[in-house]
Amino acid sequence: MLVKPPPIYLDHAATTPVREEVFEAMRPFFGPRFGNPSSTHRWGREARAALDEARERVARCLGARPDEVCFTSGGTEADNLAILGAWRAVKDAGRNAIVTTPIEHKAILGAVHQAAAEGAEERFLDVDSKGLVVSDSFDKLVDDAVAVCSVMWVNNEVGTIQSIPEFSDRAKAKGAVMHTDAVQAFGKVEIDAASQTFDLLSISGHKIGAPKGIGALFIRRGTHLQPLMHGGSQDRGRRPGTENVAMAVGLATAAELTMAEHEFEGKRLQAMRDRLEAAIMARIPDAVIHGRGAPRAPHILNVSVPGTDSESLLMALDLKGIAASGGSACQSGSISPSHVLLAMGVRPDLASGAIRMSLGSLTTDESIDRVAEVFPALVEKARELANAS
Amino acid sequence: MKERVLVAMSGGVDSSVAAALLVEQGYDVVGATMKLFCHGDDVPDRPCCSLDSVNDARRVCETLGVPHYVINLESRFGHDVVDDFVSEYARGRTPIPCVRCNTFTKFRDLVKKADSIDARWIATGHYARVANGELLRGADDNKDQTYFLWGIDRSVLSRMLLPVGDSTKAETRALARKLGLSVVSEKPESQEICFVPDGDYMKILRQRLSPDAPALSPGPIVTSDGQYIAEHGGFARYTIGQRRGVPGGFRIPMYVVGIRPEDRAVVIGPREELLGSGVIAREVNWLSDSPTVGSQVQVRVRHRARLAAGELIRNEAGEIEIALDEPVSAITPGQSIVLYDGQRVLGGGIIESAARPIRSALPILAA
Repeated sequence: MLVKPPPIYLDHAATTPVREEVFEAMRPFFGPRFGNPSSTHRWGREARAALDEARERVARCLGARPDEVCFTSGGTEADNLAILGAWRAVKDAGRNAIVTTPIEHKAILGAVHQAAAEGAEERFLDVDSKGLVVSDSFDKLVDDAVAVCSVMWVNNEVGTIQSIPEFSDRAKAKGAVMHTDAVQAFGKVEIDAASQTFDLLSISGHKIGAPKGIGALFIRRGTHLQPLMHGGSQDRGRRPGTENVAMAVGLATAAELTMAEHEFEGKRLQAMRDRLEAAIMARIPDAVIHGRGAPRAPHILNVSVPGTDSESLLMALDLKGIAASGGSACQSGSISPSHVLLAMGVRPDLASGAIRMSLGSLTTDESIDRVAEVFPALVEKARELANAS
Repeated sequence: MKERVLVAMSGGVDSSVAAALLVEQGYDVVGATMKLFCHGDDVPDRPCCSLDSVNDARRVCETLGVPHYVINLESRFGHDVVDDFVSEYARGRTPIPCVRCNTFTKFRDLVKKADSIDARWIATGHYARVANGELLRGADDNKDQTYFLWGIDRSVLSRMLLPVGDSTKAETRALARKLGLSVVSEKPESQEICFVPDGDYMKILRQRLSPDAPALSPGPIVTSDGQYIAEHGGFARYTIGQRRGVPGGFRIPMYVVGIRPEDRAVVIGPREELLGSGVIAREVNWLSDSPTVGSQVQVRVRHRARLAAGELIRNEAGEIEIALDEPVSAITPGQSIVLYDGQRVLGGGIIESAARPIRSALPILAA
């Protein structure tokens, strides 16, 4: 009997496994340390201590002060709180515009559309074919009518890195609040709230080895935000509701582990990514690597092969035990061409063929070798079928 | 493990049981639900393209422990099936989108997906059977769905698996319960056209045709001898054999017996005028060797209609003519004619017109 090779997970940009250390660190809070951090008794104090400590640890990882860290249910909530909270806080003071890019995550685009439905003016920055914001358009769109400007640090589909420190300075000079979605950037680029000037920054736990359902928004002191939810005074009223102590501890632990190894891990992932990219290009010379030539995060490889569609390729890869992803999946699970690639000017037929492979803790040299073998073989087969019909 | 099979799963009981049976038989089953259309905001409780059926199919696959994928065939289905549906009504005909969906979507486009994942077989929950490269009627005469399958490419027959074709609907439901498929076992039968919300096909036509399209514009209701009776609100609302929407006041029941797009007329007449003595059909497809002229065949001109005996009197260039032994009622342009030899499906075509029996004039006008 043929032994099936072990399955290969190449979708770390979608989510990552919870790290053992994170799981262990969270365990007491599902057991004896179950208290409510708002309670004044010993159980409450124990929970409060863990929460305070988690906040400090996350703050340290960001170069921030503890009171600048607001725990959320994840990246989507952090992004919504940033966009809607910042805009609603200043819209009546003559700043009604929101500037963002067409290549943001849907959490940003959805929040911006909601603000627009409430009367905000949307302004979209131009991006070039590599997925980089066009500098001129930033100067043109960011003026003193802008409430908040949001540019993602690392794009989740193609991995391009924007010059957030520089854009932050320029947005601040115009008096706008600067937000960045750093969900894919954390642990991949240098983030330091002390030396950089962004006001708001979103991170997500499950992309870095913490569970799904926890994230955080960095809120620089002095930034006005209207809360999304209303209730108790937890987290200074910015995020009412009994705090999720276990998950906050999980996020802190995962963030620290990620920071501790990010240099080594970044080099490791980049070497494997570049090797896979080279192998694919060698076997499929007309393959298109999206974002190539731009500064790119080390863990993402997004490739289109003319004459193939991602739906069939992803199925075939999955049935061979290789997990990758395509454009954004809609609710029914079917795949539509990525809005990111379309905004970068990629032809729709090429965009429909895009496959994102994202590397991470589970990726090994052996798995890269196998993907470098299987992916081109599947592509060749798909093209034969396309030519036959 | 046996070879791989791609199972088209609608989220209904038939295709779910089909998948379950194939798992039991040891096949390497891969479930797929085709995303064929999007209602957009029209159907508020189904925000994303009949999500419920996708979810049900996925739940069944989870229960069976097999992978499930959603395959987006929206643009091809829109072109091959929905556009044709609209243009047929615009021409005063009554189309069957399920026939074209089987021909072009399930057994062509989906077969290509099967190729791309190395699936030797393609399976559906149709009540029909395949044996020795031939398509046979389903064991349950009440459920037989071969009427909708005549158009598929003959070469696909050798790759088709139709696991519920040997069962009755009641047996399939019982099997679903026995196999623990509670998600789907009690689902009601759907008779609706999948892309028509709430069975209101006029809504689709109004969306797709211009407001002044002849099919949607008023025109005369006349008798076959030319007498003007009343106005109608668009001939697309009518089909041959219909009684609803036909003015009353006649001595005998009157039916729609013809639609004339050229002058927007809906022609009505008594039951006798519905009878046809022959059928001319186009876009003919054979699932067997093409029968010779003079062959005796059985035909079905409407889903669930009784089989009628006849003779193939013309067969050339994708067009056939059948002379019926006994007249048949309501032979409708746009519907299908399917030819049988006993259990065997020989082929079929799209009805172009009926040949009228020679008959004496009957009194039709009421007092």
